[in-house]
Amino acid sequence: MTGQGVGASARRREDDRFLRGRGQFVGDIRLAGMQDVAFVRSPLAHATLRGVRIPDAVRSRVFTAADLAGVKPIVAVSGLPGFKKSEQPVLAHDKVRQVGELIAMCIGPTRAEAEDVAATVTAELEELPAVHDMLAARARGSALLHEHWGDNVFLETFVDIGIEAAFDAPIKLTRRISTARQCMAPIEGRGTVAYWDNRMEQLVLYTGSQMPHIVRTGLAECLGLMQTQVRIVSPDVGGGFGYKGILLPEDICLGWLAMRCGHPVRWLEDRREHLTAGANCREHDYDITVYADRDGTLRGIDCEATVDSGAYSSYPFSACLEAAQVASILPGPYDFPSYRCRTWSVATNKCPILPYRGVARTGVCYALELMLDLVAREAGLEPFEVRMKNLVRPEQMPFDNITNKHFDSGDYPQALRRALAAADLEGIRARQRRGEPDGRLIGIGIAIYCEQGAHGTSVYAGWGIPMVPGHEQATARMTPDGGLELRVGVHSHGQSMETTLAQVAHEILGIDIDRIKLVHGDTEYTPYSTGSWGSRGAVMAGGAVATAAREVARLAAEIGAHLLQADPRTVTLRDGAVYGPSGSVTLAEIAHVWYRRPQDLPVSVDPRGLEATIGYKPGRDSGTFSYAAHVATVAVDPQTGDIEILDYVIVEDGGRLINPMVVDGQIYGGFAQGIGTALYEEMNFDASGQPLASTFADYLLPGPTEVPAPHLHHMETPAPYTEFGVKGLGEGGAIAPPAAIGNAVNDALRTLGAEVLQSPMTPRRVLAAIAAAREGTA
Amino acid sequence: MSRVSLRVNGRVRDAEVAPRTHLADLLRETHNLTGTHIGCEHGVCGACTLLLDGMPARACITFAAACEGAEVTTIEGLDDDEIARELRAAFTARHALQCGYCTPGMIVSARDVVLRMAAPDEHAIRVAMSGNLCRCTGYVGIVRAIQAVIADRRARGIAAIPGGGRDRLGPAGAGHAGAASAPPPAASVPAAAPLAALPDAAGVPPGWTPQVTFRQSFVSAHPAEAVWTFLGRIEEVAACLPGATLDRIGPDGRVDGRIRAKIGPVAAEFGGTAHIARDGQTRTGTIAGTGRDVRSNSMTRGRITYAVAPDPSGAGTRVDVDIGYTLTGMLAQFGRPGLVQDLAARLAAAFAQNLEGRLSHAQGVDGAPPPAPARPLDAGALIVAVLVGRLKRALRRLLGRS
Amino acid sequence: MKPVDFAYARPMDVTAALSLLAEAGPSAKVIAGSQSLGPMLNLRLVQPGLVIDITHIAELRLVEERPDGISIGACITHADIEDGRVPDVAAGALRDVAHGIAYRAVRNRGTIGGSLTHADPSADWITMLAALGASVTLRGAAGLRTIPVEDYMLGALEADLRPGELLVSVTVPRLGRAARWGYYKLCRKTGEFAHAIGACVVDPERGVCRAVIGATEARPIVVADARHLIGDGTQEQFDGPAVDELARASGMEDAIVRQTHVVALRRAVAGAAHR
Repeated sequence: MTGQGVGASARRREDDRFLRGRGQFVGDIRLAGMQDVAFVRSPLAHATLRGVRIPDAVRSRVFTAADLAGVKPIVAVSGLPGFKKSEQPVLAHDKVRQVGELIAMCIGPTRAEAEDVAATVTAELEELPAVHDMLAARARGSALLHEHWGDNVFLETFVDIGIEAAFDAPIKLTRRISTARQCMAPIEGRGTVAYWDNRMEQLVLYTGSQMPHIVRTGLAECLGLMQTQVRIVSPDVGGGFGYKGILLPEDICLGWLAMRCGHPVRWLEDRREHLTAGANCREHDYDITVYADRDGTLRGIDCEATVDSGAYSSYPFSACLEAAQVASILPGPYDFPSYRCRTWSVATNKCPILPYRGVARTGVCYALELMLDLVAREAGLEPFEVRMKNLVRPEQMPFDNITNKHFDSGDYPQALRRALAAADLEGIRARQRRGEPDGRLIGIGIAIYCEQGAHGTSVYAGWGIPMVPGHEQATARMTPDGGLELRVGVHSHGQSMETTLAQVAHEILGIDIDRIKLVHGDTEYTPYSTGSWGSRGAVMAGGAVATAAREVARLAAEIGAHLLQADPRTVTLRDGAVYGPSGSVTLAEIAHVWYRRPQDLPVSVDPRGLEATIGYKPGRDSGTFSYAAHVATVAVDPQTGDIEILDYVIVEDGGRLINPMVVDGQIYGGFAQGIGTALYEEMNFDASGQPLASTFADYLLPGPTEVPAPHLHHMETPAPYTEFGVKGLGEGGAIAPPAAIGNAVNDALRTLGAEVLQSPMTPRRVLAAIAAAREGTA
Repeated sequence: MSRVSLRVNGRVRDAEVAPRTHLADLLRETHNLTGTHIGCEHGVCGACTLLLDGMPARACITFAAACEGAEVTTIEGLDDDEIARELRAAFTARHALQCGYCTPGMIVSARDVVLRMAAPDEHAIRVAMSGNLCRCTGYVGIVRAIQAVIADRRARGIAAIPGGGRDRLGPAGAGHAGAASAPPPAASVPAAAPLAALPDAAGVPPGWTPQVTFRQSFVSAHPAEAVWTFLGRIEEVAACLPGATLDRIGPDGRVDGRIRAKIGPVAAEFGGTAHIARDGQTRTGTIAGTGRDVRSNSMTRGRITYAVAPDPSGAGTRVDVDIGYTLTGMLAQFGRPGLVQDLAARLAAAFAQNLEGRLSHAQGVDGAPPPAPARPLDAGALIVAVLVGRLKRALRRLLGRS
Repeated sequence: MKPVDFAYARPMDVTAALSLLAEAGPSAKVIAGSQSLGPMLNLRLVQPGLVIDITHIAELRLVEERPDGISIGACITHADIEDGRVPDVAAGALRDVAHGIAYRAVRNRGTIGGSLTHADPSADWITMLAALGASVTLRGAAGLRTIPVEDYMLGALEADLRPGELLVSVTVPRLGRAARWGYYKLCRKTGEFAHAIGACVVDPERGVCRAVIGATEARPIVVADARHLIGDGTQEQFDGPAVDELARASGMEDAIVRQTHVVALRRAVAGAAHR
């Protein structure tokens, strides 16, 4: 480590422009002649569309499905057997299936004027019964979204691994546990600016996306263009968290408009559109039974899980990724012999879902960890004792669990022990016995999870989504002045890649990170990639950059050897220079010769020069397993239902850390989102499918007073199969907080006999649980 | 259009903008100062926070015209500001930004905290920064950076300036201008399409279940027969409903009409069609219909069932009214379901009172005054007040702070 | 999310504002700091023909302190009060409540008159000013009228503002030396609208003992003589069941909602006792 390489908390190269308000987000792009677009959206969740009335005066500024001849609907097919395909129309033509579905697009010189036009357009809608409850939607006789399916189930899966062997367990506990529907709510919404480039004969679409190459593929397919005719530029992205990992109907509309109108067009999602019409996430229901012995040994888990997938299968992740993941990861980091899980991905008249930071892991962790605390209570044990009994042990690593997840490394019990010590479990128990002077109730809660990240070809091919990642490629290219350009197809939406990938290249080439330029977010300039999702950036793009940088190092060393008149086998590269037996030459000098003084090179020089594009896959592509133990201490006010987080400890093992400061930032940020899931965020729908929040006054995001600074500790067990031993960890912070806080709340409420099994755990739910317990005992 | 002259980052800048243009749009779209970000456009997220006469303000809910003559400092104008410079260094050192989108608003608010607050503890800093949402950092680095800058400045002997040094009263940005008025620009689009009858005139399918239901009952002094007959005269019934207007009465029990409502500053007019069915044997009736408010692209579907029977006490007639409705569209997309019961009570009371008055007049009761004309809109259009009652909760949530 | 097109007028005195109001009729909307109306305009929930900006009227940005209290112009901001640019005649209650409203950037423009006229039951001023026994002064074509704050609010989002009238000032009585006050609100997060508010003022010199339950579905519940509920303001004398019954009688049917309101008042009273 040289202070800039792998392991250094290097300061971020991207900060300065943001701190001065000079970032360039989609909304900041200015093109001559650009017009704004506003959409006419469905006010109804489920209706037949009989027609669209457009006043003559605005007819030339309004476009409907009838105008979009030849444009194909968005189809995201899962390869899993039994999957039922949905066709998401770009603009609705016969039916609408969610509030906010696009019916017409309107253009104007400003957004305000485009909205004026939209306000004159009337959709003739004939309301149909809405499907708003995923459990009722599964039942026979429910109204149907996609009539030809015959039901509302995208996909049902089933796995049974000897569950009967658990039936004689002395402890059997069953609960219904659920997590609310959420909006991902990056502070920057979606946005698209599009124009047709006549010189390049190319549709250029600026859109804040985590996966520009995937958007290009999908967009070209829908618009019937060759992919060379589409260029996607994702500029600075104001947060993503999954929300910007989708091909939107709006993207296709803007692309079509740009070609049709001959001038640039712009659509910037506003907050109401985000909350009422944009993709949702997280709505799970678990009917779960846990079998255990009296000593806390887990015998088996039996679960029926339902995921509300919304109206359409969204591109590229499909409607089933979430439920498929539930079935495979519900066992968590525990070793037990029997398992059964049935899942349903259900279509309802709501916005489609997308994988949100943590994806299914957050719901799964909430369900499982809450149940383990109930087991502890039933067995008369401390919750940690149940974990210790069942956690995978370090000597079992690598460990293939009951669903064939390949745990690569780590010491889970150690993480828990350290977290409990930091949280002072014994001190909290003593404090509970003393009671609080203000009448509040104190509780402590544990949650442990593993975060399979950067999973590769074999895993995704098995899940059957239409976008299977293969080798991740990177280009490394020295510039004539001795700098370095890196080109990657992943894209940062806050992850600091301009810094961390430069650190990786620096580790190998020794070039100062200020002289390393990351080029990303543009399909024209970067190698193909499925993009930034699934905690894969550091592992995959980091590995690719390392591989490409090594190749450049090798090429440079050969030239250096020639310049030093040394045998290439005797030279080494370090600190940005090639050293031979009798001297050294800097990389800058080598670059100068290659580009500017080729006459100094032998005819036999490797013609690849100082540039390499190479693909990378880890030694095993089953994913890295980072993990953490979270311990929350809360105070619950039994009079108001308020929950205050008094203390929060995280012990995380993310393998080798490229930039510990950035890693901490990812965990802090994920933790804040986890608090949102645990305590605040909830996207409700009424029985007619109306979303009941359209502002941040209705949909509560945690602010500075709602998110305490957690105490963060690291373990660094290197991953065995990846470059440098890094593991993916961008999502982990968001996985455990609902479970840890939920267990802490229920621990606090234990003396009242109340339990809360639904997130977010609002004051109302806490008070209702207390009241129910009181009635139950009265 | 109105001419807006502001002093932006030290330089006077004029522009012609529509009066509806908020300050953030003026700066971004006209002056190309894109550092002022838009995150919610309803004043909650704080991404658009800038300095107005030196005080932090929300650019998204402040109209540019209202700031005529004011001093505006955006993030781009803080390059050489001493506190901002220290904050930038501290933000970078403590990783207080990731995607960078909330950052300009954070810097502006943080600068205000550093300037105004002498020695705030961590919680006070968090409270002071609570109007700025960050989705990436968990606020850890932001709070630590602010703490560090404050500690450093106080150690250097730089005192806080309570109130930010402001000595004027009234809204930041106000009070610099002379009288002015601006008409809206000539309409570029026609007014909204006229109220349209819905494709399915009945609009209420047999299996429909209303989202909200409640029952109201009242007792009339008049005999059941008279009340029943009265309820069959749709013009009379409509006249008892505050805010209702009949447009057309069809031969088959079909009625076209409108109902106006005013909830605080929100005005809605639902136009649509209802079907009326009556059963003389049981003395029950049903009015079911669907209406649309064009301005808010909202619809309501409702069913009112009434039953007329002699009151068990023997004096007069009891009328039970079951009201059920569903509201969809923009007006529905707030808050939580739930009925504002006092509005329901006011509705029933007003309806019963009007009905009683009309009945008495029709029956020639001594001294009964002639029926009042249909109530004007502002006098309390109660029916739709009930229909959009739940909107109130939402509006309160959104707006509980001016 | 942009407003409909509207005309804009910036009168420089109240008379001019009143004539604009009279001419334009109900399609005119008055804005002060626009922190309430701004969001509603952006959301197109409100679609006015004319917006009348009253923040440039000098007399609405004045305060007048008198021996018995203070008159606060309608366009005085929460921050003006929070920062002490407006004298606090209520033993710190005004500053304290002002500090807790929304966020600083909102307080720098949001006004006391706008808040009261918006008539949001969850807003802070309506509840605390009702506890303090404050009044509002309205000016219209027929002249001035002054009414108690709690009467100004007819119901949720409905103020007793007659056509053509403008709220010009708020008058807050000066508390006696021995006076104590309490204020407690329950929010899920800082700056969020309140789910329950309790407020009380006990001022022996003036013979005042007032309690208010705010953030109800409608008008705040104001108890002008609250001695039977809160005694002389010490927590021990707080009669929870009686407050609960009062809330129930006022139409608060949900037991959990009632409970939180009782708790808010109890804590307000406890706060007053320790002040």
